[in-house]
Formats: sequence, C-alpha cells, structure tokens
Amino acid sequence: MVVVTVGVIMAFIVVLLIVPILIALRGSFHQWNPLNGTFTWVGLDNYAELFADPQFARASLNTAVFGVAAIAGRVVIGLAIAYALFSRLTRWKGFFRTVFYMPTITPLVAVAYVWKLMYNPQFGAINSIFGLDVNWLFDSRFSLLAIILMTIWKDFGYAVILLLAGLYSIPEDSLEAASVDGANSWQRFWRVILPLLRPMLFFVVITSLIAYLQAFVQVLVLTGGGPGTSTQIISYMIYEQAFVKYNFGYASAIAFVLLLVTAALTAASWRFNSSGGADRPGRAARRRAARRAAAATTEGSAR
Amino acid sequence: MSAIQKTSSGVPLTGRRAGRTAAAPRRPMPARTRAGVIALNTLLAVMGVFTVFPFVWMVFSAFKSNAEIASLDQTFFPRDWTMANFESIQTKLDFCRLFANSVFLSVSITVLAVYTSLLGGFVFAKYRFRGRGFFFGVILSTMMVTWAVVIIPRYTMFRNAGLVDNYASLIVPAAISAFGIFMMRQSMDAIPDEVLEAARIDGASEIFIFHRIVAPMSINAISALAIFQFLWVWEDYLWPYLMISTQSKQVLAVGLTTFNGQYSTDYGGLFAATTISILPVLVVYLVFQRRFIAGAASAAVKG
Repeated sequence: MVVVTVGVIMAFIVVLLIVPILIALRGSFHQWNPLNGTFTWVGLDNYAELFADPQFARASLNTAVFGVAAIAGRVVIGLAIAYALFSRLTRWKGFFRTVFYMPTITPLVAVAYVWKLMYNPQFGAINSIFGLDVNWLFDSRFSLLAIILMTIWKDFGYAVILLLAGLYSIPEDSLEAASVDGANSWQRFWRVILPLLRPMLFFVVITSLIAYLQAFVQVLVLTGGGPGTSTQIISYMIYEQAFVKYNFGYASAIAFVLLLVTAALTAASWRFNSSGGADRPGRAARRRAARRAAAATTEGSAR
Repeated sequence: MSAIQKTSSGVPLTGRRAGRTAAAPRRPMPARTRAGVIALNTLLAVMGVFTVFPFVWMVFSAFKSNAEIASLDQTFFPRDWTMANFESIQTKLDFCRLFANSVFLSVSITVLAVYTSLLGGFVFAKYRFRGRGFFFGVILSTMMVTWAVVIIPRYTMFRNAGLVDNYASLIVPAAISAFGIFMMRQSMDAIPDEVLEAARIDGASEIFIFHRIVAPMSINAISALAIFQFLWVWEDYLWPYLMISTQSKQVLAVGLTTFNGQYSTDYGGLFAATTISILPVLVVYLVFQRRFIAGAASAAVKG
C-alpha cells in the first residue's frame, strides 16, 4: 500500500510537474513557436529582451501596485470585520460569517463578469448607486483601481475566517492580564491582540502574495490589460505571450522570472516575520509556520 | 489547538472559551456599551449589504429584458419579469449542456482527488517508512510552482499525446492534489494510533482500516476539501480553454467568455449566464457552510 501510493504520487509529480518545469526552463533559452514549429537556441536573448521591454516594466509596476493594494485592503478589512465579529457585543455572528465568506467560494470568472456589468458606465450599479459618472474600465486612471476593488471584494472573506480563527486561539489569560493591568481597549488591541495574531496575519499575507502574483482572470475578463497598458500585469502578459501570440520561449522566460520573484518575496517576508524581537517564535512554532507557509501556496497553485 | 469543539454558531473554539461563553451571565448593558453594540452591528450590516449586493443585483437583472437593463430609468427589481434571457442563452450556446459538462467534471474530479488525498494523507500520517520526510517535502514543495511555468509544457505534452478534446486531459492533471494530501495528513495526525492498533488486533486489514475507520473519522476535512476542489474545477478557465475545442464539450467558465465574445451587447444574457454559473455553487455552500467553515479554518489553525 505504501509503495504503490507513494510511487504513484511521485510518478505523477515527475511527469506532470518536474518534467514540465525542465521543458519550460529549456524552452526559455529558445525561440519557440509551436504554430510554425520554430525551436531555435537563442541563449539568454529572451531574458535580455525581457528586461529591456517597456511593457514588462509597466506590468511589473502594475503587479506591485495591484499586489500591495489588494493585500492591504484584504488584510485591513478582514481584520476590522474579524475583530468586530470577535467582540462580545456583536449579534448574529454565524450569519455574518456565512455572508462574508460567500464571495470567496464563488467562481472567479463568473464573478468578474458580474463586476464588469457593475462597472458598466451606462447601467452599472456602482455609478447609479453612488451617483458617479466614471468609465471605470475604459479610463486608464480608474481601470487598475476597478480590478483591485473587485479582487478585495472577492477575497476579504477568506481573511475574516482565518483571522477570526486566530483571534479565538488567543489565550484567555493574555486578554485578562491586559485588563487587570488597566489597558484600555485601544491598547489591548495594539499591544496584546495584534502581536499575538501575527502568525495568522503572516499566513494571510503570504497566501495573498502568492495568489496575487499569479492572478490573471480578473484582468482577462474586465480589461484585457487595457486601456493601453494600464492594467497589464505579469501573469496576464505570460498568458498573452503564450496563448495569443504563441511566443512560448519568451513566455517561459517571464514565467521563470515570476517564479523566482515569488520565491524571493516569500523567503524575504518569511525572514522579516521571524526576526520579530521579543515575541520571536520558538523552534516548534517556526516549524509549524513553515508548514503553514507551504500550505499557503494552495490558493495560488489552485488557480 | 487541541480539543477543538464547535459551538452552536460553528466556530472552532478551545474547550475553555466555549464553556465561558456559554455560561456568560446576561447583565443589563450600560449606555456606552449599547452605543457600541449599535455601531458594531451597523458596520457589519453595511459590509454585509456590500458583500451580498452584487449577487442579488445579478439575479434580479437576469430577469429583466435587455431594453429594461439599458434604460435610463434604473430600478432594482425587474418591472416586467421575463425568462427570455435564459431561453436566449440556451438557444445561443446550449448552456444546459455546458452546465452538465461542468457538473460532470467537477463531481468526478472532486471524488477522485478527495480519494487520492485521503489515501496519500493516510500513508504519510500513519505509516513509518524510509524517505517519508523527503517524499512529503517534495509533495509540499510542488505547491510553490505557479501555473505559468508548467502550463506551456503541459499544453505541448497533452497535444502531442493526442489528448485534445478529451476529458482525460482535464481529469488526469487534477487527479492528485498536493494540498489535499497535506490537508488530510494534518487531519489524520489527530487520530490516535491506538485506534488503528486495536483494529489490527481484531484482524482488520489495512484496506478495511482505511475505508471503514480512518476515512469516516476525517469527515470535516473531507467536506472542506470537497467544496474547495469542486470550486477549483468549476472556475478553472485557462486549461479547459486550451484543451477542449468542441463547443458542446466545453465547460461553463469558458462558455461565459465565448458568450461575451460573440454577443458582447447581450447584457441580459450575460446576467443569466453568470447566474447559472454562480447560484448552484452558492447554494451548495449555504447548505454545507457550517461544517465547511470549521474545516477551512482548522486547516490553517492546526498547521
């Protein structure tokens, strides 16, 4: 049973992951177009071209803005709502939790279309409710913001559920000790709760980071990278180079840069988290967190 | 997080806190607290409306005629309820067929992936063998690999193998899930080895132990994984778009983009099509939400 199960899993990983990664790596050193059968060695040309490509520079900037804004929005809103739900003063906790998690379990492609309709300048709900006259998706000043807002709406519920679970696992004694020492609720939140919540916050940030570096469906549906290059992000650029223009070699090179950036950012934020001063986690906690970080990729790899 | 138990509201709590919450005496509230209650509940209600609104707007708009959707005088509820949008998307793209395809694929992949995850989780949680840590590390590290790196080689591999337009190309790559194996192992770690030993002494085979003892004890993790997995297949866009070329074999997520591409001004049809793609998943979630939220949160907390 052990030999067969592990053997099948490993064969699966080798054939469907390791071999493809090696093929992609080799392909990134080639001019590779499957439509006309080109497969010519060009060395590092794809990578050189990439770093000189103004579209890639723009896509990198947009990816950074999108990632930072979406993560900040998700974490801040998620934390505010989780803390509100944690409060003893709140009613209908179960009901609200169910409501906030709803967008998270709906299919992204369909949700993106609903938002495309919501942003419609003619009959979209957003302009009519707030009395605005904004052409959200076709005005380069607002298009990236529109994608960020949709993404935050779709994903904040995930942060609510995880941070709520984190809040419930804070030891009762810490909260009581704070009250006994005369801390007001403001101090209690910033000095006691937030530091204790740090591992879970870190988990949410890492998960989001990996997921948002790979996100492309919202761009595909809402704007197609436009207007101009105002919503061009790296993962959408990979899709376009690969399956619209069939530049497989160039697309593979971008994909490898993205993979390296993801790994580097994950490692960096990991380091940042574990150099945290007095509340530095013990060895067991760190190992647990390492496993969490591995699990954190789930969201991203699933899309 | 030992001794996880669920309160009536379904949040996983530690035993101590659960007891305290249940026994909390009801005292009359001071005025300041009452203001806090109102403020908190208002915040949650506003956010709740913001969260639910796009779904409700989508459903009502699906029953409006195209003329009514585009009219300057917008109303929330349809003035004249009509089924025309649903009839039109059925005649234009055969959405019933796409819906059935998506259901078939989502259900079969979910069943398969949950079973292989259970088996993998069982082997890694309950057997000691050489290289166990190494193999598990390999499985975890595969979760870091982004779709962008492997999708091009997979595309060429499956084309060369003649699997285009064949559901095997959609089912095989999703048959084993690293996240699922990880999640099941986490959950099965909590099952005491004594339970298995007792069954072995009674003469139970390993197959029997797996199917009749370990699997039923993992029901919370199974439901959470099943809903996640179902959603991932249901919303997967790029891979079916690349692999399936016959329209009648296509899945819903791709059907939506095809529809929008061909009938870009049929907004009523798009509302109806997104309603069909979102509503069933939402209903499944609302039916199982209690167990699902507990399972989803504990996957991160227990880690």
